[in-house]
Amino acid sequence: MSAVPNTPRRANAQESFTPAATPQTSRVASSHIVQSSPHYQTTRRHSLYGTEDRIILDPGSCIWKVGFSGEGKPRDVFYAGGDSGESLWTLNRASKPAEREEEDRILEAKLQACLRSVFHNSLLTDPKSRKVILVEHPLLPLHIKEIMARILFNNLQVPSISFASSHLLALLAAGRVTGLVLDCGHLESTVLPIFSFRPLYPHLRTTPLAGARLSNHIKALLLMFGTYIPPATSLSATMNIPAASRSIRVPQDVLTEKVIDEIKTRICFVGDPIDTDGSGAAQHAMSPGPSEADLPPSDPALSESEFSRVSADVSIDSSNFAPSSGYSVVSHSQLPGMDHAPGESRVQALATMYGRHSTATDIHLRVDPPPAQQTGTGRGTLIVPGWIRERAAEVLFEGGDVDESSVAEVILDTLLKVPVDLRKTLASTILVVGGTPMLPGFIPRLQAELTRAVSRTSNSSSSSAAPSRAGRPRPRPAAYDKYAALRPLLPYFAILNNPAPPPPGNATAAANAGKAPAFTPSMMAWVGGSLAGALKTGGVEVQREKWDEAEAQPDSDDDVPMAHDSSPARSARSSPAKSILPDWTRTPLPTGAPPAPRPPAAAAYIPSAQEQMVMG
Amino acid sequence: MAPKIEYYCPCLAESPYPPPPHLASSSYSFHALHNLFFCEECDAVRCNRCVLVEVSGYYCPNCLFEVPSASVRAEKNRCARNCFLCPNCRNTLTVVPSDPPEDVDSRMSPIVSTTLGEPPFFLYCNHCRWDSAEVDITFEKPTGLAAQLQKFEDSAPESLEFERLKEHFEPFLRASSSSTALPSASSHHVHTNPITAAASSALARDIPGVGKYNPLSRSRIGRDKAAHRQEYPDYKSRVEVGHAAALSGEVDVELLRHLETVGEVASLEQRWSNSWVTPLRASDLKPLRIPLQSKKSKRCPSCRHILIKPEQKAQSTRFKIKLVAANYLPAIAVTLPHAQAALEMMKRSSAKSVSAAAAAEEQQTAGALIAGHSYSFHLAFTNPLYDPIQIRLAKAVVPAHMTEDAEAAERARRSTFQIQLPSAAFPVGAFAEAWEYDDEDEDMFLDEDGVELLDARGKKGKDGRGKSRSVGIVDKRANVTIVSGEVLIPKEARGDVKFNMLVSYTYRSDDPEPSEEVEVGTPSRSHGTNKAPEMKNFSFYTVVDLGSIMYREEPKLTADL
Repeated sequence: MSAVPNTPRRANAQESFTPAATPQTSRVASSHIVQSSPHYQTTRRHSLYGTEDRIILDPGSCIWKVGFSGEGKPRDVFYAGGDSGESLWTLNRASKPAEREEEDRILEAKLQACLRSVFHNSLLTDPKSRKVILVEHPLLPLHIKEIMARILFNNLQVPSISFASSHLLALLAAGRVTGLVLDCGHLESTVLPIFSFRPLYPHLRTTPLAGARLSNHIKALLLMFGTYIPPATSLSATMNIPAASRSIRVPQDVLTEKVIDEIKTRICFVGDPIDTDGSGAAQHAMSPGPSEADLPPSDPALSESEFSRVSADVSIDSSNFAPSSGYSVVSHSQLPGMDHAPGESRVQALATMYGRHSTATDIHLRVDPPPAQQTGTGRGTLIVPGWIRERAAEVLFEGGDVDESSVAEVILDTLLKVPVDLRKTLASTILVVGGTPMLPGFIPRLQAELTRAVSRTSNSSSSSAAPSRAGRPRPRPAAYDKYAALRPLLPYFAILNNPAPPPPGNATAAANAGKAPAFTPSMMAWVGGSLAGALKTGGVEVQREKWDEAEAQPDSDDDVPMAHDSSPARSARSSPAKSILPDWTRTPLPTGAPPAPRPPAAAAYIPSAQEQMVMG
Repeated sequence: MAPKIEYYCPCLAESPYPPPPHLASSSYSFHALHNLFFCEECDAVRCNRCVLVEVSGYYCPNCLFEVPSASVRAEKNRCARNCFLCPNCRNTLTVVPSDPPEDVDSRMSPIVSTTLGEPPFFLYCNHCRWDSAEVDITFEKPTGLAAQLQKFEDSAPESLEFERLKEHFEPFLRASSSSTALPSASSHHVHTNPITAAASSALARDIPGVGKYNPLSRSRIGRDKAAHRQEYPDYKSRVEVGHAAALSGEVDVELLRHLETVGEVASLEQRWSNSWVTPLRASDLKPLRIPLQSKKSKRCPSCRHILIKPEQKAQSTRFKIKLVAANYLPAIAVTLPHAQAALEMMKRSSAKSVSAAAAAEEQQTAGALIAGHSYSFHLAFTNPLYDPIQIRLAKAVVPAHMTEDAEAAERARRSTFQIQLPSAAFPVGAFAEAWEYDDEDEDMFLDEDGVELLDARGKKGKDGRGKSRSVGIVDKRANVTIVSGEVLIPKEARGDVKFNMLVSYTYRSDDPEPSEEVEVGTPSRSHGTNKAPEMKNFSFYTVVDLGSIMYREEPKLTADL
């Protein structure tokens, strides 16, 4: 009875035993195993792309851009964290080893899914035959870089990975080799000066005022000033009850990441700074607050900055506070001794001021009602006031905090750090890249903010400097003018990709402002990577056999820090990255004296001819 | 949520033990059976996260044209025939001719007003009524549309600018690579390119201009810079961002300031793959060529044998080789009898139930696991092999090398509920066609293993919640055996009832020749050998998710009876 003839349904199982598969595949297999040698042999089978065509990966914490070198735009762009738009990693890491390990495991699984989908779904190519250029943000956490390298080498078996600095690549896409690049991404805004292909990493400056903070700010503003009209409970109610009487404050659940993202990317823009003609309004706005009598009334910047603090508070615990407590964030505002009511009215006054100055229209947005109130008919309506659309981005431009410089200040801080003889050059070759500058009006506004921050005289600028707030009891320190040194540079400031450059201050600025090709800021780094790939250059290249070698040999140095790691296998796996992957933070410090004959290991850093000449 | 079971693939962790199921990361290691492969050579389960994927053919999902790999690159992984996606709703566009000539009716839409003589064709979306005439795309003939659009793509500003950039940098790189050729020749091969060399030397050295030890360096740098400026002229953009007509910043700001609805502005997804500044308006979006898809064959990551290989033709959904785990491992279905009983009851009483929403909620609570109760659950094993197998279940052991505190936390969590599984091995009948099973088969194993075989029908009758305390075989027929386990949830328990289960099964191996080591031990499905049966063992881990614990005491449902 067991001798059953094959039935059609089981045909597949029978096919699996066709001998044809085995010998053939084993031959391929052996060739693959032998093949840890330089270049991939699989390409000879079907070389879809030239062997020199490389894959450019620009992995952000939120959005990935992928494509082939030599092309003007990426093949695919996607949310790495899934459709919800949450970011793969944040600026924080769990402090407990067990939790951190768990975090890393989740991150690795997500990154693996992303990377596999890049090759198999987006690019439809064989990873074993494609070299990869990884567009690397200079502050990309090392453990993430290690995980990515591990997945690419072990799981996908790419032949090599080149690590190229995103700022440098973006500069290439602008046709320059020298410049000051601001990358305003999701988690951070980072400024890196680059001189003649050389990123000056020690002068890198960063601030957490970036896309994620903007999202939080928009959310906080909408919770306070937005309006939500829930769907009518029945269709007849839609007719009878006017919308105004149904409108309520915005429930927290309505403002999902997705909704906020849509608001940010579709209807927000950056308005011009409110300058002196707005001072009257600012003064008026500040009058209810009793504690700021000593503030210079003519400076709207301070009021704006206080205003933007709201989101900083909200962002800390926006994940878990109840909607009701969402409004009370104002109460623990920064000014000591300020109780709830003035705070509320102060923010309210600012809202009034912005509202008065904004001619932007209110937008009605259809949103899904929160899951708890799904009973109504259809979708709810979220009303976004026009001034929020225009002024939400103020949070990025309001400085005065030593830890969180504004986007303009972070550029100026970098300029203060770089050698004096480079300042003029760098100030006139500022390049703004990243996703957040895609907001219409961002770059012109940044230019205006730069000018404003530098040209502000000591009288008015003192209020925006940090000490004024902390040192209220003391007499104010005599005019701390941080950017005085940069004031002579004022006519030189020029943003390469400013779509609407102001009248240039001098010939240098005129030669640079707005002269970059019209690539979008968000794509600059990717385009530069594509360019580097087409020019057969790129960053430091790591071959797979090097990785395999490093992974094979037991590593003793790193056992101590990895002691908390539960599985010995894991620590062994993560070790090769330490020795193989390029990392500017781990480069040996320069010796004070002219270098002695280099040991072979140190020869990894070859000075260019130019450099050698200098050294010589 | 229905209880479910997933199978473990050890590719993510190095250890053979599955991660504890309460960790969020563990969900990435478990997969549904139908997603898994089985490598006969390695005798191991493989999942989609570890297999090596190769493209075995490209095709367009819309017209099913098999694209030769030579043209895939030139066409940028997109269909180069008549297949387009609507830029607004991503629906497939159809090619439609213009309306009949003007004499029929001339109270026309703008589309037809463009009609001159021979009717142009345009793309039309049947879903959102978008049509390509809105963006001035019309065609003279209804075929080869992509080719007609090709000229636009070739002259896209980003590719022209890109070429210009390339030309700009090439001489410089050539010059500097020849100068660096000498030092790099003697050195490491990695650093042969000039940018790398420049970058890494910059890293290794002091910042120009701040070097302390070399008084000459400052002036040198100055001179270098000057020299560099001369030999290396600034790049002149083809289209400067300041002059790009598409985006003059002010226009966008003005557009947004006077925006009436969100719909006017294209969403991020619709424009984020543009590397060139593009208008924000949704009405300016262009139709998209449909992305190609690929047929993929998958290989075992360790032995490189093909696990699955599709037939070449795009129309075919068959596979040339298909080693899926469902053909090797017993399929397991997990059910909660009390939830099912409650469902049944719900269906019966649904006629008089008030509203659908309330019923759904009832349904939720009916199948819930309430703290302080114990429940039995059923595991139905289906044997895909042509030979009967013996299955033994065990709770997964905790890996020994877990660190102290982790283990403590683990124990605290794990102790929230207790699982009882049948400890003895039980048989599952061989797979055969439905008409070949006799009724007597059922009784064959009745007392074979000393396991008490409950009367299935009788038990079902009294299957209330937590009524039956017994653990063992519930039912057995054909190639399916249902066993019952029990979960005991203490009052203070919270979270999900999720546990790892080790399933080992013994099967008759049918290729006893020991020549090929790897081949031995593969649960093979071929049959009809007369040799002495050799028994092999294979085990795998699963995670059983019975659902989350509710701590609301609500005996209402039973009262409703």
